Amino acid sequence: MNISVLERKLRKADKKQAVLYLFCNFISLMLITAYSAIMFSSTVQNIFPEGGDSRRQMYMIFVLALAGCLIFTVYASSLFFRRKSRQLGILMALGASRKRLAPGLFFEVLILSCSSSLLGILAGVPAVILLWKFFRTFLTDSAEMVLVLDFRFLLVPAGMFLTAAVSVSALAFLYLRKTNIIDVVQEEHKNEPVKEPGRWCGPAGILILIGGAVLGYYHSAIYEAVFHRYSPGWMNVSYLPVFIGLYMIMLHTVVHGWGSRRKHPYKNIIARSMMKFQGKQTVNSLIVCTVLIAGGCFAMFYLPVLYTSSFLDAKSQQYDYSFHYRADQTLSNQKEIADIAAGYDVSLKDWTEGSYITLALDGRKEIEGEDGAIHLEYHRMLAEGKVLSESAFNRITGQNTDVPRGSFSAISNDEETATYWVTSRDSVFTNPETRRELPLKFHGFLHFSLLTDQIGYYVIDDTDYSAISQGITPYWSGSLVFFNVDGKDSYPFASRLYHMLIASFDKDCLTSVYYNRVKELTDSSESADSGAGGSQEFLKNDMSGLSPDAADFRLYWTYMPKFRILTASDFMQTFSVFLMTFLFICIICLTAAMVIAYTRCQTIAINNRYVFDDLKRLGASPAFLRKEVRLQCGNVFKIPAVTGMSAMSLLYGMILFANDGRFSRSEILGFLLCMAVMAVIAAFFYGIYVHTLRIVCMELEIPESRTF
Amino acid sequence: MLYVKNLKKSYTVGKNIYPVLKGVSLSVAKGEFAAVMGPSGSGKSTLLNCISCYIPFDEGHIALGGQELKGLDEAGLAKVRNEKLGFVFQDFMLLDGLTIRENILVPRIIQGKADRSAEALADRLLRLFGITHIAGKYPAEVSGGERQRTAVARSLINRPLMILADEPTGNLDSRSSRTVIESFENARNQMGATIFMVTHDSFSASFCDKVILLKDGRIYRQLSNSGNQKQFHNILLDAVGEMSQDENEMEVL
Repeated sequence: MNISVLERKLRKADKKQAVLYLFCNFISLMLITAYSAIMFSSTVQNIFPEGGDSRRQMYMIFVLALAGCLIFTVYASSLFFRRKSRQLGILMALGASRKRLAPGLFFEVLILSCSSSLLGILAGVPAVILLWKFFRTFLTDSAEMVLVLDFRFLLVPAGMFLTAAVSVSALAFLYLRKTNIIDVVQEEHKNEPVKEPGRWCGPAGILILIGGAVLGYYHSAIYEAVFHRYSPGWMNVSYLPVFIGLYMIMLHTVVHGWGSRRKHPYKNIIARSMMKFQGKQTVNSLIVCTVLIAGGCFAMFYLPVLYTSSFLDAKSQQYDYSFHYRADQTLSNQKEIADIAAGYDVSLKDWTEGSYITLALDGRKEIEGEDGAIHLEYHRMLAEGKVLSESAFNRITGQNTDVPRGSFSAISNDEETATYWVTSRDSVFTNPETRRELPLKFHGFLHFSLLTDQIGYYVIDDTDYSAISQGITPYWSGSLVFFNVDGKDSYPFASRLYHMLIASFDKDCLTSVYYNRVKELTDSSESADSGAGGSQEFLKNDMSGLSPDAADFRLYWTYMPKFRILTASDFMQTFSVFLMTFLFICIICLTAAMVIAYTRCQTIAINNRYVFDDLKRLGASPAFLRKEVRLQCGNVFKIPAVTGMSAMSLLYGMILFANDGRFSRSEILGFLLCMAVMAVIAAFFYGIYVHTLRIVCMELEIPESRTF
Repeated sequence: MLYVKNLKKSYTVGKNIYPVLKGVSLSVAKGEFAAVMGPSGSGKSTLLNCISCYIPFDEGHIALGGQELKGLDEAGLAKVRNEKLGFVFQDFMLLDGLTIRENILVPRIIQGKADRSAEALADRLLRLFGITHIAGKYPAEVSGGERQRTAVARSLINRPLMILADEPTGNLDSRSSRTVIESFENARNQMGATIFMVTHDSFSASFCDKVILLKDGRIYRQLSNSGNQKQFHNILLDAVGEMSQDENEMEVL
């Protein structure tokens, strides 16, 4: 037998640790490969709006997941080396030099690291394809959901593969250097205790975490208010206190726990001391798990909030069908639509029509100077506003509104949460054709959710309306149509009408809601600010290449009709890529968190085995030993789950509140749905925890009950 | 064989320096079975660790078979450990993944000389220590006494100049302790091994030719065995008692 054979045999004996390391590395690489594949796929890149919140959210969680998986991989390798250290120590005690042991060790770790990384990367691609196929088969499917991978995504897992290989080699080198014969011979149990902070640490951590979240969220507004400049990207470091607070909370949890021990100072002292004396590792893995769980919840929360908002919007619609169009377009009339409906056994009722004109509204616009300073610039004609006469509004809505002459009312929904896109201050309305101006005072909000979208609707007195609409062309005026169905509605009818209406529009109407005709008008007449012409041109043609079923089309087309049955039924299909991407991200983050928690519990078994053996010798009952294991494993699962979920609930609640300074009904319902989803995740976590507990007890040879 | 002169060793903890060995001098002749006894903290393990080349010493000299250990680099020390010394530890230190026979061969494997002659010697050692029947078993499958006899066999596979044993009976019951001590006697009588053992156990020490009593980092007394084990055991008990009494008196003062 030679040293290679000896090392091979010893590797066999370390199979369990090696398998654990292989598994962790494999899972890490697989998850990151799958995430990268989805994130950089043309499918997702084309659907997620560039610079949009959803894309930013996806990138942010990716960075968290990447950091988490990397820390996790390094952590798993350190577990492997801890075991290896004993072997190296014995061989060194018997006369093997470090130089003699180094090649075998490096060979072993590189083989383990490279093979599991490569397998992880290889498995990541089929995993993403299979999961995506599963989504398409069992959850939702649409033409947009065809997964088109861009294989440049492999650069990310390749980078991680290299990082993992380099870090595992560096760890091998460090462990070989620091393996101390005396420690091994004297069986010293090396721990990594943390410095014990005062009992203020945890409460202070909570305050810092909340402060960090508030500071992070509002930093750009504060920065702009103070410096009159847009906040630079590096200012996102203002989120840093969140992580510091998180660390302090975890540290407090590990060192002190949260319960008062005045009455029972020795309660759970063994479990607590075991955790405390491996404090560094414990705190690290708790933080990584917390961040991953929070990331998973953040991704998952997107779905219920979006769904409830869409569901309630559809439910609160005053008419089953509504659409509007520019007056220079020719769309099907009432009879034609009724004839089509008849073909689907649908009869129409409550047919109502109305007209509106599009006027220019004045306002102030933020301008960024060459030096980066921002200032407000007043524009007499800044934005579009769709204006109805008081009588037209009353006819459509059945309300009896009186808007005094010389004033205007803005239209919002019942809860007045849809006020972002309308002006609520005294304004000057200008006829874009004749340039006649009409200064009006703000008279408050009227409520009618079907007349709310990104180009605001306003109601003015009939006399004012007839005065300002003098000389306006069909290009600046439009028609509104509303009707209900008598009896049961038909999805095929709604779908056909939807596609038929779109086909009736001229190509120049396929514009984005962000396309500002007033801006185009002023740009061309003043020949100033021509730099923005390019993006205006883009927005003008934005929708022309999109399918009418695409999420972007339905979200951003200027003349998007509102058909209750389509909104309710097509939610999953319309947002399929969003939904599936975020669901996917959630699965990845939670899987990583669960694997980390599982691995941490395995470490408890490996590192504290001697303590449990000693406790057995001292006569501890199996029930007592199980309790000690439960107290530690329970914390490993419970603390990150509770902290991650609570932090994310707080943050999400804050975001929802900060949107408009209150919670709308849909936001409250969405949030409650998020809580229900969290309960499901928590139940799943609990299941994994119970399974882990059983395995750890088996490894520590703690029987169900002691037999003699 | 082993020559230690004015050995000094201290540990530094923070800003404090704790002298553990304060000038120890001793010698062990070829084929001698010597033991070091002393209360906890007397420095006996530190003395063994210095001789084992596990830790460096501050001052003094250690010579093994005429070779001075001071000044050797890591490779040189590893060579001494592998070729000139054999080790028996309190916790056996067997490798779990290897069989009993393979464990015995480990020092030769490290040396790169696990040839037929090494295998023949391993088989002989298995027979000598009565563990042939467990040769194919793994450490986890055998008793503590058998594990320690395996460790003794392993310590002899390189035909070292000296076996260093650190509390070899510390984890064993009295019956197993006896068999381990018999193994050492066999090693000395049949293979001419020189043994240097650290122990708390006066009964085990009573089988030695010479016992060195260590106290507070210095040699307190050195006792020689005239051949009568029982008588020597009683002498050892008296000497240890006397040493403890001195210690108690010191505490009273």
